[in-house]
Amino acid sequence: MAMLELENVHTYYGNIHALKGLSISVDEGEIVTLIGGNGAGKSTTLRTISALQRPRIGKIVFEGEDVTTAPPPEIVRKGIVHVPEGRRIFGRLSVQENLEMGAFTREDKQEIIESMEHVFQLFPRLEERRKQTGGTLSGGEQQMLAVGRALMAKPRLLLMDEPSMGLAPILVEEIFNIIREINQQGVTILLVEQNAHMALSIANRGYVLETGQIQLAGLATELAASSVVREAYLGGG
Amino acid sequence: MKRTSLESGLLIGCLSLFFIVLGVTSLTGSLVQDWFKLSSPILGGWLLLFLMTFWGGTLAFKKSPSKSWSETLRTGLSVGLVAGIMLALTIWGLGTLNAQAVPIREWLVQLTPAAIAMLTMGRAPVVAALLMFVVMLLAGIGGAAWAYAALHYQWRSVLNTRWLSARESVINMSLVQKYQQHQYSKQIAYGVGALVLLTAPLYLGRYWNYTLGTVGLYVILGLGLNVVVGMAGLLDLGYVAFFAIGSYTMALLTAPQPHDIVMSFWLALPIGVLLAACAGVLLGIPVLRMRGDYLAIVTLGFGEIIRILSKSDVLTDFSGGPRGVRAVGGPMLFGLNLNNEFYFMYFIILGIIIVAYATHQLQRSRVGRAWMAIREDEDVAEAMGINTLKYKLLAFAMGSGFAGFSGALFASRNKFTGPEDFTLLVSINVLSLVIIGGMGSIPGVIVGALVLKGLPEMLRQLDDYRMLAFGGLLVIMMILRPEGLIPSSRRKMELHDDESEALVPDVLVEGGEV
Repeated sequence: MAMLELENVHTYYGNIHALKGLSISVDEGEIVTLIGGNGAGKSTTLRTISALQRPRIGKIVFEGEDVTTAPPPEIVRKGIVHVPEGRRIFGRLSVQENLEMGAFTREDKQEIIESMEHVFQLFPRLEERRKQTGGTLSGGEQQMLAVGRALMAKPRLLLMDEPSMGLAPILVEEIFNIIREINQQGVTILLVEQNAHMALSIANRGYVLETGQIQLAGLATELAASSVVREAYLGGG
Repeated sequence: MKRTSLESGLLIGCLSLFFIVLGVTSLTGSLVQDWFKLSSPILGGWLLLFLMTFWGGTLAFKKSPSKSWSETLRTGLSVGLVAGIMLALTIWGLGTLNAQAVPIREWLVQLTPAAIAMLTMGRAPVVAALLMFVVMLLAGIGGAAWAYAALHYQWRSVLNTRWLSARESVINMSLVQKYQQHQYSKQIAYGVGALVLLTAPLYLGRYWNYTLGTVGLYVILGLGLNVVVGMAGLLDLGYVAFFAIGSYTMALLTAPQPHDIVMSFWLALPIGVLLAACAGVLLGIPVLRMRGDYLAIVTLGFGEIIRILSKSDVLTDFSGGPRGVRAVGGPMLFGLNLNNEFYFMYFIILGIIIVAYATHQLQRSRVGRAWMAIREDEDVAEAMGINTLKYKLLAFAMGSGFAGFSGALFASRNKFTGPEDFTLLVSINVLSLVIIGGMGSIPGVIVGALVLKGLPEMLRQLDDYRMLAFGGLLVIMMILRPEGLIPSSRRKMELHDDESEALVPDVLVEGGEV
């Protein structure tokens, strides 16, 4: 059985029909990517899963449990954590405070400290910058902080929205390596990306979204080879 | 003549004219007259104009520092010349018009015959104008020379080092050092502070107990709004509504009119706090779904609704209408009537301590962290699993409860409450004192209240200019010290990022980005 399942999900922003009957599934241990152009509904999908947006129709099932109407805190407690688009770190708080904020739903202090040590192992640079305010970090460091903050909630499923946005190519590579590493440590990942090439290179499976609907689904290798994806998202040829 | 010097002169001249027209010069004159028990306000008014041009002289010098005395002299002269001509013409014109009994007041309210007489020193307009011209020339030259001396003789830094070494020698004196090394030094300092605080009402007298009591009530209000605006980042412009609810609850429950309930003060106080907090939650449930500007507008409306309701004729039987509620009850303890400014001062001090302690503890708790996250980025706070509506409601309820507490004390101490006590200005004052003190900072709120509510009280004559002073102070503050008088360490960090950034070697920053 799939870890996460979306069945015929329709999400609206007011009158705008953003997701038109979306059905996707993510298995435990996978990296699944959603690719597609601007306004295809990639971010909305993630927002709907993490309950920041409510679906009007449809069902979301996480580990056999219906979580369609669960509020965000409950979703986080169940292990679904969202790394929002554009990093959105708390610019005026220190790196450490940002990380502590990520562990808001957790109670055990000892475990939180362990998680922080784990994050610092993944991102040694964050430890160096511990006392610095988030806003003074570079773009790459901010993305690391955003990922680290999400990891502080001890996620089982990480929803990542455009982690490569606005980063230099070398940093994109680094971030994707880290995503792979996190995945190898047992965290399932649903990745939204504009950079389809990079996303498909690390993902197991992928979905191509267009105007709120699934256009194409399959193994990452198949998608990378398909003519539709190559023409639309991988720069032709 | 340099252009910059002429410009400085023009600027100062215009500012001085502005002051004359607004009546600031006359006001300064009468203040100086009062303080130093002079026979006329002339000295004060002229002194202000002199100092303005003097300042203009230093300003002009700073814009283009001269290397020689003669150049400095020219700079000062140009400033004095421009300002002098402007002011001399003004004085001559005003004096002449006044002598011909032209009713200047009809257009410019502040230019009373007395004010003009102050400017002309009661002499013929031409004489006064010439005198003014000469004085302004001297002022401009004086200012430039002052700036020149300050720059070239470094007397400021000399004074500064002297002061530092003097301070050091005091600290080094064995007694002071011994005190600082003493293990209880902190406790002793707190003890002395507490003693001063507790005995203060004894020797303050009625007037000051009342005035500082009002300041204290504003401190409680400020601490409450600080939770809402400073900690949770919710801009509430109708905060006065909760103050009014606390106040009216106390009044209606303890006064013989209009309801004849005459409940005990001690019972009415918690009811007032509770009702205000409930009102906060009730308003919050629909309103807190809105953000930023919308929240500000809706709360602004709510504040006005409460005031207008309290004033309305329809509710006169219930809330006393425009005439308010009289004979509000005061506290009794062991058969002792504690209903005067003196005892209230103690209640207020106690209230401040309780509220300050409570908010301080909250700020450092899990709740405080949730507020911080919401203030910084509500979306992300939600994504982190923070129940934003719950924590926003909590902030609203706490802030409103504190306002209700302050309001209940206010009505009881004044033995009266009415719609005029709850104008929009109260909300604005409280917000201003939170901002001036330093958002999110508890000591800042106390200092802010002293500055905004205490200072105008001390400068009673300034009454008409309170709003002008408020505005001016706020503008100057926001330019010079955007983080407030006593900022929380966090905001200081935020607003002076450029300084903290300088601590990070550029190499590291670069290395991170590539």
